[in-house]
Amino acid sequence: MPSDSPAISVLGLKKSYGEVHAVKGIDFEIQTGEVFGLLGPNGAGKTTTVEILEGLRPRSAGQVAVLGFDPDRQRQSLKDRIGVCLQATNLPEKIRVREALQVFSSFYTKHADLNQLLRRLQLEEKREAFYGTLSGGQKQRLALALALVNDPQLVFLDEPTTGLDPQVRVEIHSLLEELKREHRTILMTTHYIEEAERLCDRVAIVDEGKIIALDTPSRLQQQSRHASSIVVTCAKALPADRPAWAEATQSALDSTGRTLTVNSRRPAATLVDLVKWIDQQGLELTDVHLKQPTLEDVFIELTGKSLRE
Amino acid sequence: MNTYKALIALDVKLALRQKSVLFFNYLFPLVFFFVFAQAFHAERGAGMTIVIAMVMIIGILGNGLFGAGMRAVQEREANILRRYKVTPISPAPLLIASTVTGWMIFMPYVFVMFGLAHFIYGMPWPKSMGSILIFVTVGIAGFRAIGLILAAVANSMQESQILIQLVYLPMLFLSGATFPLAMFPPWLLVVTQFLPATYLVTGVEAMLMRDEGIMANIQPAAALLLTMVVGLFIAYKLFRWEKEEKIRNSAKLWLGVVLTPFLCLGLWQMHTKSNAEKTKTLQRQLSRSETFLIRGARIVIGDGSVIENGAVLVRGGKIAEVYAGNGPDPKTVNAEVVEAAGKTVLPGLIDVHVHLGGPAGFYPDMKSYDPDKMMLRNLAAYLYSGVTTVRSVGDLLDNILKARSKVNSGEVLGAELFTCGPLFTANGGHGTEYFKQLPAGIRENAEKQFSRIPGSAEEAHQQVDDLKKAGVDCIKVILESGAGGRVYNRLDPGIFTAIAQQVHADQLPLAIHTGEVRDVEDAVRAQANSIEHGSFRETIPGTLFDQMARQGTFYDPTLSVGEAFKDFAAGRIDLLKRSLVQQVGPPELLRGTEEAMASKDTEEIRASLARYPIDMQIATANLKRAYEHKVPLVTGSDAGNFLVVHGPTAQRELELWVQAGIPPAVALQAATSNAARLLGADAHIGTIRPGHDADLLVIDGNPLEDITATERISSVVFKGERIDRTELFEQH
Ligand SMILES: Nc1ncnc2c1ncn2[C@@H]1O[C@H](COP(=O)(O)OP(=O)(O)OP(=O)(O)O)[C@@H](O)[C@H]1O
Ligand SMILES: [Mg+2]
Repeated sequence: MPSDSPAISVLGLKKSYGEVHAVKGIDFEIQTGEVFGLLGPNGAGKTTTVEILEGLRPRSAGQVAVLGFDPDRQRQSLKDRIGVCLQATNLPEKIRVREALQVFSSFYTKHADLNQLLRRLQLEEKREAFYGTLSGGQKQRLALALALVNDPQLVFLDEPTTGLDPQVRVEIHSLLEELKREHRTILMTTHYIEEAERLCDRVAIVDEGKIIALDTPSRLQQQSRHASSIVVTCAKALPADRPAWAEATQSALDSTGRTLTVNSRRPAATLVDLVKWIDQQGLELTDVHLKQPTLEDVFIELTGKSLRE
Repeated sequence: MNTYKALIALDVKLALRQKSVLFFNYLFPLVFFFVFAQAFHAERGAGMTIVIAMVMIIGILGNGLFGAGMRAVQEREANILRRYKVTPISPAPLLIASTVTGWMIFMPYVFVMFGLAHFIYGMPWPKSMGSILIFVTVGIAGFRAIGLILAAVANSMQESQILIQLVYLPMLFLSGATFPLAMFPPWLLVVTQFLPATYLVTGVEAMLMRDEGIMANIQPAAALLLTMVVGLFIAYKLFRWEKEEKIRNSAKLWLGVVLTPFLCLGLWQMHTKSNAEKTKTLQRQLSRSETFLIRGARIVIGDGSVIENGAVLVRGGKIAEVYAGNGPDPKTVNAEVVEAAGKTVLPGLIDVHVHLGGPAGFYPDMKSYDPDKMMLRNLAAYLYSGVTTVRSVGDLLDNILKARSKVNSGEVLGAELFTCGPLFTANGGHGTEYFKQLPAGIRENAEKQFSRIPGSAEEAHQQVDDLKKAGVDCIKVILESGAGGRVYNRLDPGIFTAIAQQVHADQLPLAIHTGEVRDVEDAVRAQANSIEHGSFRETIPGTLFDQMARQGTFYDPTLSVGEAFKDFAAGRIDLLKRSLVQQVGPPELLRGTEEAMASKDTEEIRASLARYPIDMQIATANLKRAYEHKVPLVTGSDAGNFLVVHGPTAQRELELWVQAGIPPAVALQAATSNAARLLGADAHIGTIRPGHDADLLVIDGNPLEDITATERISSVVFKGERIDRTELFEQH
């Protein structure tokens, strides 16, 4: 595989389960070393897409290459080279952490150092513990460890932090950042905007089996129809008639009359103008902040849905 | 390879960490082990072998169906298999690891059981241990595969439980693993032959009890192996990693495919019944394995010596020890005690001259006379009467060989049988007259089965050789020219010599029917092993008896048939009224013969027999002189002829001898050790001696003082089994 060819390329991918059309024709490419996120609500088709790429499910239509392999036809070679952390999986209650790593390691041609892996995932103390006795976070860390036993260059993570408490989530995020620094290609799915914003180089927003937007998180935000907004609060009520500040599009007072929201195409220019005006009015400024549009706003704007039900 | 090793190591660890696995594999069968051991008196005989076979199969069933089947479904339902699905392995290592693991978990248990059996119940270490281990291995493999198929076709935990029970319960209860097959009615036995578990039970039993090897059980072993191969293949093909992938209900039919080898075996068994026979044989062997001590009795050893107050220890079908006095403390030899004060123990009696297919009289409906059935029934009648061995000297070859294999294997309970098969005679000679009235087609076959009529010396050699190959125990030749209106062609001397030569070359005992002195002379010259009948009409000269004594030629006077013919001619039926004859004679025969004797229909036969020269005085005098000239004597009755009813024949012969002036001790020796010697069977029957088969007749009273005591039977022991005489005829 030439190094400049993409790690994953998907063209016109479709998948139906009988009457259910879970994936309705999607295209994307993931470059080597890139962290790519699939963001979408429940049932959007994220897992379906990922598992097709992992060689777990056959596709209905489209062209797919993962590390140069066709996941339908070269399943074994593909599986040997990728790392996978599934959304819904389990291990026997009475398997020890160390045993799980050893057994899974034996399935692959390439092997990561298991002790190092345990250390990295902070499972050293739990190495002799039974799977059944692990906490949710520990189980997830073991799942990640298992995804890395073959030292894969391409890692699939299907909702790696769903259902975990924020503290664990942060730990996992730092691990993923580490993987990113090691130039591993990562395809992850998530419901969490922050996760996508923080970790992903690019994000595809998926809804009802289609990609409705695909770009870097920052550019996605910029694409938003919503401008940024400036919110100012004063000690006394503001006058009802207001001038047109530089680059401002809209402004509105709240019910108290003391808080003003100003939408702007270029918040920096507007802000200077606005603060000057308040000063001229002889009003005392008690609070100012700038609101950038979030990915969530973008998402809601694009899909008309919220990300979590 | 690493994958396999790692998976097997993991599977074994997981299994051992699971309480239910330990319970079903070890504890559960062990409970059965001790319960069955108690129930089968495992310390006193071969009961332990049955216990081991049963418990072993209970373990295999649990291991295969629950261990492999249930666990596979569990792992799929719990989304565990999904995790394996993302790795580069195929289902093969998972399936094979499961199979191998089942085996590894089970094997220690096998050794634990043998250990317990050996150290607690004194079972000797099995001789065919290698075969047993191989057989158990294919058993485990086969059942693991069945379990895996069950898992492959079940769509949920519940469904798998139903399917597993559906297979488990019949196999548990109908295979002999919990109830011995001997308890089953015949129709149910047919059903059992379709269950793989049945073959495991009988196979293991046979290997333990008879030291059978794997080759003797190659059919079920191959079927189990095939089950494993087909099972693993289908389990591989139907393998599902995720519970979401449902399988069509029709896929459950694959379970049927896996069981096809046994469907075929079952159908084959319906045809051959060989496994059902084996089951019966094994049951017999079990009954023959008990240890008991008969004590306080007079013991007539059979070789002429007597212990006035002695004991006989029977173990494993053999006479283990003979004691003067009361013998050892039964506890020290693990024996049950049979008190026999006032009784006499004899070796089972032997009748060296019977025609097992001979009806011995008249049946109201001769058309329904089935020689196969009657032969077996007659052998049971002998056993009932304490005549534990008989020699057939002239019977339908195929039928008699079949009967012999059935009784001698233990499948059917009846006296041990030796046979000459058909008899050699001349065209138009004695022996050919029986079939004259039969329709042509039937006659031809009957003659072929009943007689050999060589036309030349070469043919004689060939026919003897063929019979030897067919497996006969002796050769019977007729030298007889008839008398009193019955004229027979006598065998050509050249052909006769050719027959005798070949018989000796083939090392078979040669029995020669003689009618008069020149027949005896020719027979003695031909080195006959026994002279059958001697003569009822001519006095045999002392010099001829001397010659017989020198050669060791046995003399079998068959006084019984002489007496019976005289009675028949005279219309007397006293012989039918003997107590034992009344007990063993088929009721239709007794009734039919009595009615026939009273009717005009038999007048003609009676008149013709009356003309036939039978002089009991000459016959008894011949016997007496044979005794005086130290000719070895044997008892034969010629049962099957009119009024000589199969059963207590040796007793009547003995009585006639004693009446003729033969000392009872000599007569008894003739009916035991001498007869055994003539049959070439004196290494295992005929005397009460350690190592000999435990064929014993226990009677009330002292036969040395009153020979009729031999008819007052207290009990019969046959090959170590205390015969339940009342149930003997129920097997027919
Ligand atoms: N094995 C299956 N059989 C039938 N339908 C399925 C199957 N797997 C998924 N679906 C359907 O396909 C659609 C997409 O499911 P998928 O699991 O890919 O969504 P997702 O984006 O991963 O959702 P979530 O965020 O809940 O994990 C859903 O409507 C789902 O019900
Ligand atoms: Mg999903």
